[in-house]
Amino acid sequence: MNDVTTSVTVNGRRVSAQAPGHYSLLRWLREKVQAYEVKAGCGEGVCGACTVRIDGAPMASCCLLAAQADGCEIVTSVGLLDPDGSLGALQRSFWESAATQCGFCTQGMLMTAADLVAADPPPSRTEIREALHGNLCRCTGYQPIVDAVENAIACRKEAQVS
Amino acid sequence: MPMEYIRAETLTDAVALLTGAGEDTRVLAGGQSLLPLINLGLAQPEALIDIGRIPQLRGVRTDDGEIVIGATTRHADVLGSAVVGDRLPLVTDALRHVGNTRVRNAGTIGGSMAHADPHGEIPLALAVLEARCEIHSDRGTRMVHTADFTRGYYTSDLAEDEILTALHVPVPARGTGWGFHEYARRAGDFAIVAAATTMRVTDGAAADVRIGLAGVADRPMRPAELESALHGARPAEFDRIVSDFDPISRSVDDPFVGPGYVSHLARVLITRALRDAWTTTNQEIR
Repeated sequence: MNDVTTSVTVNGRRVSAQAPGHYSLLRWLREKVQAYEVKAGCGEGVCGACTVRIDGAPMASCCLLAAQADGCEIVTSVGLLDPDGSLGALQRSFWESAATQCGFCTQGMLMTAADLVAADPPPSRTEIREALHGNLCRCTGYQPIVDAVENAIACRKEAQVS
Repeated sequence: MPMEYIRAETLTDAVALLTGAGEDTRVLAGGQSLLPLINLGLAQPEALIDIGRIPQLRGVRTDDGEIVIGATTRHADVLGSAVVGDRLPLVTDALRHVGNTRVRNAGTIGGSMAHADPHGEIPLALAVLEARCEIHSDRGTRMVHTADFTRGYYTSDLAEDEILTALHVPVPARGTGWGFHEYARRAGDFAIVAAATTMRVTDGAAADVRIGLAGVADRPMRPAELESALHGARPAEFDRIVSDFDPISRSVDDPFVGPGYVSHLARVLITRALRDAWTTTNQEIR
């Protein structure tokens, strides 16, 4: 069997590694890049724990082969940190709204939410709920998560005005 | 399990790789159906031929009364297509029900079609619009109507060495109304039943009514008798006409929902879709 070389950028850093062809992007990120923030959940693309942004679009890293992402730009929740390593605005908003409890779903939630915060025009609460329905959380009851995304969008709008 | 990955750069490459390869070599597009099956151990191909980067298989174009959607065009790109939103709003509405954001960002139209899930939204919408599937192999190109393309439970008309390359969707006449409704137990889950309709209105009554159902049989169903019964009907009569309809010819038992419930859902969803179709007729811009 042929090993496949996959070259991508992960949170701005160029990475290249060989892996067997059947490696999912999720497994590749964890084993080859030590991106342990990306979580393995259902393996069916349903739970959202493994969500990463690929060329700006949230996708399930468990349902893509690493080889399919070759040449792409990948962002995980670590890529949302401020340059000095402190929590970024969206992560702070999650913290302030108590939108994370056990933390397992959080990185995937953040990656779907990052897409919403970047969206223009800004999504309504209904649209936020609709977009997040593919990310499962078994702890929070979702309301604080939707609050956190709403607050992050409001902060971004304020920042743009001022 | 070891599995070989081969990226095809051109359609010619892909066809050559597939010719004579046998049933353990599978075509990979977006991977949103195949990779979950592999992850769950339900499929164990020896090799995957990735057609996702072949430029000529991606994109939406109009051509002589048809809209041609390349097989590896992603759901999100079809959703974002202005010409599809304008001329094929049934497809746009159906796509909004497909999976979740991640699935729509990675999954492809052709992949949904070839996967032939009897609950799938795309095969349903394209059955109602009477689209044709363009298929390539070493033996040449052929066109197949969607009604003949979906052959049964997760079974398409594709032979082992064939690749679905495009979907040719006839553009409905201006003013054609449409409706799409489905019911799933959880948001983003596969629909138990989905109903799609298109309709014209002539002399204040329904005409050219098309109805499609997913989830009631092993492939999308077009209830021809019900379609004819609705010809000439007005909205006040939809309920009564649909109440006589019993779609059940389920070849596959579902442990969670009985046939009575499925029939009930089908009637409710058809009626809702018909009402939407009625109100969207002659509505040129959404």
